[in-house]
Amino acid sequence: MSNVNTQQAAPKPPFRLDIKAVGPLVALILLCILGYVLNPAFASEGNLTNILTRSAFIGIIAVGATFVITAGGIDLSVGSMAAVISGVMIITMNSAIETFGSGLTTVILGCGCSVILGLGAGFINGLLTTKGKIEAFIVTLGTMGIFRSLVTYFADGGTLALDFDIRGVYRPVYYGDFLGLPIPIWVFACVALIGWFLLNRTTFGRYCTAIGSNEGVAKYSAVNVDRIKTMTYVIQGLCVSLATIIYVPRLGSASASTGVLWELEAIAAVIIGGTVLKGGYGRIGGTVIGALILTTIGNILNLTDLVSNYLNGTMQGLIIIIAVWLQRGPWQKQASGQT
Amino acid sequence: MKTLAKLSAALLLGMTGAAHAQDRIKIGVSYPTPTHAWASGMNWHAEQAEKRLEELHPNVDLILINSPDPASQASALEDLVSVHNIDALVVLPFESEPLTDPVLQVKQTGALITVVDRGLSQPGIEDIYVAGNNPELGRVSAEYMMTRLESGDNIVILRGIPTLIDNERFDAFMETIEGSGINVLDHKHANWNRDDGYEVMQDFLSRFDDIDAVWAQDDDIAIGVVAALEEAGRTGDGMFVVGGAGMKETIKGIMDGDELVPVDVLYPPSMIATAMDVTVNAFTSNGPVAGRYILGATLIDKSNAESFYFPDSPF
Amino acid sequence: MLNTEGFRAPVLEATNISKSFGTVPVLFSLSMDLRPGEVHALIGENGAGKSTFMKVLAGFHQPTKGRIKLDGQEIALPPNGEAEALGVVLIHQELNLAEQMTVEENVFLGRELSRFGVLDRAKMRETVQGYLDQVGLTISPTDRVSDLSIAEKQMVEIVKAISRNARVLVMDEPTAVLTEAETEMFFEQVRRLKDSGVSIMFVSHKLAEVEAISDRVTVLRDGHWITTAATTDLNTETMAQLMVGRELSDLFPPMNEVDVDARIMLGVENLNTASCKDISFDLKRGEILGFSGLVGSGRSALFEAIVGLDPILSGQIIYEGRAFKPTSVAKARDSGIVYLTKDRKDKGLLLNQQMQPNLTLLSLAKFAGALGVDWKAEAEALARATRRFDIRAKTEDSLVGNLSGGNQQKLLLAKVMEAEPKVLIVDEPTRGIDVGTKQQIYHFLAALALEGVSIIVISSEMPEIIGMSHRVIVMREGEIAGELSGNDINEQEIMRYAAGLKSRSMA
Repeated sequence: MSNVNTQQAAPKPPFRLDIKAVGPLVALILLCILGYVLNPAFASEGNLTNILTRSAFIGIIAVGATFVITAGGIDLSVGSMAAVISGVMIITMNSAIETFGSGLTTVILGCGCSVILGLGAGFINGLLTTKGKIEAFIVTLGTMGIFRSLVTYFADGGTLALDFDIRGVYRPVYYGDFLGLPIPIWVFACVALIGWFLLNRTTFGRYCTAIGSNEGVAKYSAVNVDRIKTMTYVIQGLCVSLATIIYVPRLGSASASTGVLWELEAIAAVIIGGTVLKGGYGRIGGTVIGALILTTIGNILNLTDLVSNYLNGTMQGLIIIIAVWLQRGPWQKQASGQT
Repeated sequence: MKTLAKLSAALLLGMTGAAHAQDRIKIGVSYPTPTHAWASGMNWHAEQAEKRLEELHPNVDLILINSPDPASQASALEDLVSVHNIDALVVLPFESEPLTDPVLQVKQTGALITVVDRGLSQPGIEDIYVAGNNPELGRVSAEYMMTRLESGDNIVILRGIPTLIDNERFDAFMETIEGSGINVLDHKHANWNRDDGYEVMQDFLSRFDDIDAVWAQDDDIAIGVVAALEEAGRTGDGMFVVGGAGMKETIKGIMDGDELVPVDVLYPPSMIATAMDVTVNAFTSNGPVAGRYILGATLIDKSNAESFYFPDSPF
Repeated sequence: MLNTEGFRAPVLEATNISKSFGTVPVLFSLSMDLRPGEVHALIGENGAGKSTFMKVLAGFHQPTKGRIKLDGQEIALPPNGEAEALGVVLIHQELNLAEQMTVEENVFLGRELSRFGVLDRAKMRETVQGYLDQVGLTISPTDRVSDLSIAEKQMVEIVKAISRNARVLVMDEPTAVLTEAETEMFFEQVRRLKDSGVSIMFVSHKLAEVEAISDRVTVLRDGHWITTAATTDLNTETMAQLMVGRELSDLFPPMNEVDVDARIMLGVENLNTASCKDISFDLKRGEILGFSGLVGSGRSALFEAIVGLDPILSGQIIYEGRAFKPTSVAKARDSGIVYLTKDRKDKGLLLNQQMQPNLTLLSLAKFAGALGVDWKAEAEALARATRRFDIRAKTEDSLVGNLSGGNQQKLLLAKVMEAEPKVLIVDEPTRGIDVGTKQQIYHFLAALALEGVSIIVISSEMPEIIGMSHRVIVMREGEIAGELSGNDINEQEIMRYAAGLKSRSMA
């Protein structure tokens, strides 16, 4: 074992090109080439904008999930949480019309309501996991069922529809542009940037990683484990509420089928991006790419009739597995000399 | 619908007294938990029918149970027999295959069996069968398309969840338009879901420059399709969307003269109520009620929309 | 102790073994043989290649060059522990037991007995009970492994090996985490195995133990074979010299007396916690206070409470003249009290992370500015720490889990020192590390005390306590059994308190 030259211990470069980082990107690029070859319409500006906009929902939620998973937790409730928040937002805005009219005030009220609900739901998940000492899987499985049935109840089993007058005011949040890019893409980009900063550059992010690596070590290293873990669920809740705020104006409705399986898509995006499912290693950039990969697969399948419709799931499954394999492939040799 | 009403009225008149009116008649009604709008419409109609029938026939007790998956529906059927000791069962099976045997078990206790919407995989179990007409829905939709389109026009199809129902609708549609010269550019599954409808339609729009009409097969998908069309600004040029099922918002739109979604094809969630009516008749009347009741897939347009509008139903 | 028949054909013989990982050579042409019924110790500093060599001998690594003979036949040992079938069993330093399964299930894991396709639990339980009786272990085959002490787990590993008819038992630091009493019990078992013809090869850093139990000793240094000699020809002094390749000056630094009027940094009065009763003591500035006692006597629990990891039920702590309530580790750290855990792998270091995040984890707030954590300052801190503590790693971004035990321990020490403590509590500071690194750590602690840091050393190694401490407190069953200072600090006195033969009231 050789001695590291301690003299040259220059500051580490903040960006390092390793296969874990590059793997998902390579997968995305390959996927885009495939899409273009199968149908040149793939590369049209409109289609690329569609992909980015569509990725925003899962992507924003997945940024939150990156924190939860990095800290060794899991949140299965996000899809149902998105549904119930959408539902309550719509109810709130519909009933606020009488008092505040169908203007900006009502929309802001709805969004505020969404943020409060998201933070609250996340806080409950976090508190039950940490103070309640129940496994995150069970807590969020439970809240998943609760949220899902609540939205069904609020919608009376049917669909909650946003009042048409408000839709006009609220519509630009999804359909509007800023500097040529749709608003959801901007929101997604901001969430990802802030997420990256939080995870990589703050003590909070470092503590998440430490807890995910080994909770015992974190506890003995003066990390307030319960608070940090709860915070990750609160961030997750906030991300869900942001995703909901841009989701609701799209179709102006929420039902029991809103956000079904979003939790699995978000988790898949996180893992495809190189974050380790059992915690201790998180990558926001990877998560963004993971979300893009998931959306792109669906888009390519819609743009071609190469495979039977019935095999869509097979294609998605294969591509997810290949994307993850690209970052953990056998070429990743690790010399593990030790005494 | 009308024929059916006549039929049941005739049955009612033709029968006297109550053959089975020993004491209380217990009828179990089992169907999937409403997780989408159509099913919740069905739930609403079932609850309305329960109220109405129990008021009308004090000796009839209807027990409504919904189940979230095939396995729990099978258990629910067992409970209906063992706990409630039912005289008849009205069942809308989650899936045909896994529920055939459990329904057969119920039949062996001597109960009258009414199957709704989805047939069992073994013939002869049910005494009464009440269903919407899936092939008819495809056919009626196709016929409407043919009245509005010409040879050489292009359409896209958004299908439901890959199931037998979806296949029946789709196959009948394709059979009907065959030879008309209408091109089906592509068909993809949108899972009877608004979000999927929106995304699939977006992709169809980037892929095909010339689309003249859309068969969305279902009103939920149609809502997503309409949003995508509006976003892309491709609602003009006589573009129209045909949905299906009879969602109240869609029917309201038709009443108000919506041009983008001018018609709807009925696949009534109220069929469960019809089935309950027929089943109760089997006990309160004297003649034979067994048989197959296939509801029509009526084309709803501005002229008849009002009679299919239930503002209180969630669907 | 040597076999009376004199030289017998070796059961396992390795000739000119070399091993490289990638391009990094680790072992250079090593040769050694293991005779039937022999206890053979393998010693060397951390990083000398002991663990790698043992893994080669047990088939876990394939040698890059060289031959291995088993019973005189040249053989390529199958990988991944399949050599067990040939009677060569490696017991890892990190025990390989399924924590959530019972003792019986663990012993028979992978070769369960069954009758008519059904597990024959009664038979397995009976067999395991037989082995446990043989070892003199008073646990039940149905006990869950996670409920056992480390020593008991180790014995279960040995039972597992016996049950597989092991002829060659290779053990990586079997006594590192055992108390003296447990070690004695373990040696008893080793002697029995030896008498039944089993050959045992083991790595140990405890040279006194090597002297006591082994027949022959092989010394490695930097991947090279240095010597193989009969234990009777060596003593601990010569062994240590062979290991480090230089004259070892005194292991312990000279003791500096504490200033008589040094002020009291930490005063503990009548402290009660869940596992400690009525604890009172004082710690002066610049003093090294040893805490001795048997494993489970409550020493770690006491200090975990003092740094806020465990609740305090009653009593008080005076720190720098003021009452101090340790509500969290962060508060203790901010006040200048830090605790270095004895459980390096589960509570001390993040093994799957690099050195830098490990180094700064305890004191991360210090590195955080308005623009987030200052990576540059962290890297500088790491450069300083590797120099100051002589931490050796292959590369700067090696995962901590791949460092040798000694380097991990030095990194852990560097980590707590980043918090700039005024009271440093070190729990088993030299567990499982080689003598050279031990010496470095002792000297470092002594220098720190001279600078005015007050140090508490908790250790189960008697020489360490005696060699380092100005005063020694002995604990027994959660209470302070006695306090020793000056010339009274010796092994006999400490043992009498620790074992309950003498108590404070009698003293």
